[in-house]
Amino acid sequence: MSGVSPSINQFWPLAVFFGAVLLLVCVVLLVSWLIGPRHNDPATQTPFESGVESYGDARYRFPVKFYLIAMFFVIFDLESVFLYAGAIALRRVGWSAYFEMVVFVGILFAALVYLWKLGALEFATRRWRQPFGQRGIWDERREQVSRR
Amino acid sequence: MRWSLSKANTPPAEDERFDDAVRRNLVMAKLEDLVSWGRKNSLWPFNFGLSCCYVEMTTAFTSPYDIARFGAEVLRGSPRQSDVIVISGTVFRKMAPVIKRLYDQMMEPRYVISMGSCANSGGMYDIYSVVQGVDTFLPVDVYVPGCPPRPDAFLEGLIMLQEAIGDERRPLSWTIGTGGVERAPAPSMRDRKRDERMRTKELRDPNKLEGYLEHRLGKRG
Amino acid sequence: MLERTPTTRMLFDKFGEANFTGQTTVDGIPTLWLTHGDLHAVLRYLKNDITQPYKCLYDLTAIDERIRKHRAGQPDSDFTVVYHLLSYERNADIRLKVALKENDLSLPSITSIWPAANWYECEVWDMFGIVFDGHPALRRILLPPTWEGHPLRKDHPARATEMGIFQLPDRREEIEQDALQFDPTWWGMNPGNEDTDFMFLNLGPNHPSVHGVFRIVLQLDGEEVVDCVPDIGYHHRGAEKMGERQSWHTYIPYTDRIDYLGGVMNNLPYVLAVEKMAGIEVSERVETIRVMLVEFFRIMSHLLFLGTMAQDLGQMSPVFYMFADRERAYDVTVGIMGERMHPNWFRIGGLVDDLPAGWDAMVREFVDYFPARLAKYEKIMLDNGMIKKRTRDIARYTLDEAIDWGVTGPGLRACGLHWDFRKDRPYSGYERFDFDVPTGTHGDCYDRIIVRFEEMRQSLRIIEQCLHNMPEGPIKALHPQTTPPPKERTLHDIETLITHFLNVSWGPVIPAGECSVGIEATKGNNSYYLISDGSTMPYRVRIRTPSFPHLQMIPLIARGLMVQDLIALIGSIDFVMADVDR
Repeated sequence: MSGVSPSINQFWPLAVFFGAVLLLVCVVLLVSWLIGPRHNDPATQTPFESGVESYGDARYRFPVKFYLIAMFFVIFDLESVFLYAGAIALRRVGWSAYFEMVVFVGILFAALVYLWKLGALEFATRRWRQPFGQRGIWDERREQVSRR
Repeated sequence: MRWSLSKANTPPAEDERFDDAVRRNLVMAKLEDLVSWGRKNSLWPFNFGLSCCYVEMTTAFTSPYDIARFGAEVLRGSPRQSDVIVISGTVFRKMAPVIKRLYDQMMEPRYVISMGSCANSGGMYDIYSVVQGVDTFLPVDVYVPGCPPRPDAFLEGLIMLQEAIGDERRPLSWTIGTGGVERAPAPSMRDRKRDERMRTKELRDPNKLEGYLEHRLGKRG
Repeated sequence: MLERTPTTRMLFDKFGEANFTGQTTVDGIPTLWLTHGDLHAVLRYLKNDITQPYKCLYDLTAIDERIRKHRAGQPDSDFTVVYHLLSYERNADIRLKVALKENDLSLPSITSIWPAANWYECEVWDMFGIVFDGHPALRRILLPPTWEGHPLRKDHPARATEMGIFQLPDRREEIEQDALQFDPTWWGMNPGNEDTDFMFLNLGPNHPSVHGVFRIVLQLDGEEVVDCVPDIGYHHRGAEKMGERQSWHTYIPYTDRIDYLGGVMNNLPYVLAVEKMAGIEVSERVETIRVMLVEFFRIMSHLLFLGTMAQDLGQMSPVFYMFADRERAYDVTVGIMGERMHPNWFRIGGLVDDLPAGWDAMVREFVDYFPARLAKYEKIMLDNGMIKKRTRDIARYTLDEAIDWGVTGPGLRACGLHWDFRKDRPYSGYERFDFDVPTGTHGDCYDRIIVRFEEMRQSLRIIEQCLHNMPEGPIKALHPQTTPPPKERTLHDIETLITHFLNVSWGPVIPAGECSVGIEATKGNNSYYLISDGSTMPYRVRIRTPSFPHLQMIPLIARGLMVQDLIALIGSIDFVMADVDR
């Protein structure tokens, strides 16, 4: 079994599966379009935000910590992907692979400990509220006399 | 659509005919009846409430009244996922555009239950900031009177809505069936209940609690 | 003319007696008129310099005096702005009034002295059209931004039916929604800093976590609240204007719906104020029954608070248990009063009817049943590690901040101040009862939950004492203004019949005067400031509700909180929107 180059014939179930997925998605969309509601009130296409109009765009500069968390997730998720691949092939490859996997996990674990200690996993930036008496939004507004 | 329930382990009768066996195991119905049956028994209300009536509405969701019996306990947070909006409470002028917007964002089929006197007609608040009835800007299916209506009254309104949905004829899609939605005429519960109410001759004396006590305490054991 | 109190003597010494005009009111609160030039100086003196200062701005409102007839001795005024201050150390109030003429409706704002004055002044602007110079953000808060007119003026129509049919075509809806849309630049908020943009998120008016039609616009940096702006007015039912159109008797159902979880608790301050003005004394039996029913509603309101608080924090089951207990409490109150949420069972001069035979069995059953349930709730909720983690040290405010922002009730007691109107200013016979007032120490969410939980225990104690010591007596006072008069006499004397007919149809005539009575309601201190012009209808009904200042304080506490902590904070304030907007 080993050493045989894969021929195209081995992949036809995958192609059928791919086609079936595509077909299912198209059927579901078509049936929803056929059977679904047909009203279009002024607010129907607008996003729901508790019944009032939202302010601002959906495209804005996210705080970078979301990106960081996403990166960490990807890294550790790919780690588990490799572990899955290793688990499938483990019997054939034997002890050497096992120790390599331990080293792999250990390196990433060290990275995790480093991130933890660095505080990269902290989500809140610990911005405490302004203590009583200090300058706040009302102080700034007070400078502008506003009459409506 | 005729259907019935039986316990899972009931063995079939000795002399059961084939027809009965079929009827026990298969349900035959018209498609529109089936769809109506599905729609009415799984009405998903929108998590919307304005005022005091909302407290009674949520009481209907809790254990002593249990709206889950009627399939309507799935409170949705988004109007896109809900079927029925219960205008529970006073409709304020400041809130009216918000309510209209939420109703616009609901998907059809969508129904409106107007719960409480304030939503029905402004109630006792004939005042500058209150809209005199939500039906000035929304089409209402069921009006539930009360200030606030008991949770039981709200459940009765829900049952009436379910009956109305069961009777309505709605085209399955814009491609199938012609015409709009056909609704059964809305009954007046005052007329329906009039005979029974006129037959009542003895009212419980509010200064004696005998019947009340047994009724409330007895049922709890 | 005006009774000299230590405070008024000190004020006269400092500012000169000629600068004040005294007014006697039925409630005995020293009421002084001053000019708007002196206003700031006097208020600062009362807040900071006087011994045992008046640190709390209890209420700020206005009166349209243009068609008022009985105001002899009072300075000439078209519009009067009233400042009601409270001193916890003295256990005393003082009321200051400023007279304004129609062509010069402006006053300096006092937001530099009390931050809590912000919303109060916005409300006075909204309702009366009085401008406050120097106010940081004077705007309409109770009415839609597109509203024209000032409703509490006597020339503004009260009824919706006098104002034309309400219609909401698409164009109008667009205009209204645009007016409601949040504009951060108006508030001076930065749309972003150099690294990130802030997200402006509307939490409400339709949102399960804000407990009613309340809108709070959050300026978010990721999950943290940088700033927030509460927006109220979505629940404004014009109760104060309604009071000017209802007789003293027919207004009682409207009071029920101010704090819709409070039931008869809301009738009490109104009825006490009217009785004080009319000079009616009720029997001990009436007082005890009132206390018992009011404490039942306190338990019910706190049960709902506890259940929804648990639900906000993620526990799904407790709310069902607590609503089941509310049903048990309703069994008792419905057996006595007949209605669930809005019984409107208190009357001027007494109650609707006597307690039914067998009431003690019902109350005994509840009193026996409830302590075990409270113990259970303590275990599942208060001792729960997750609840503690989400509420301990979250959303703390200090006692000074609480007093400065006008917080009353459990929110104030959680900061450590032992202040309860039932103990410090007993009304309706509370001095005869033996109960404690729970206080907290930290002023965080957890302490607020604990205080309300313990208050339920104390309320049960009071109910038990009512059960054991219910005095005998009449349930209606024998007084001409008792409405409606005792029914037995109505069917015997023609005079009583005539009075009954007049009182119920036209309304009792309450002598001219002013009276303010406050009680310890479920959410805090609830006061009714009634002004009678000697007619069958009130001239002005001012309802000082506890939840109005509580919401004002949210931005102060919320800056820097994560969104989930903000939800815990909003839940722990325990407000009801009808209490805020009336």
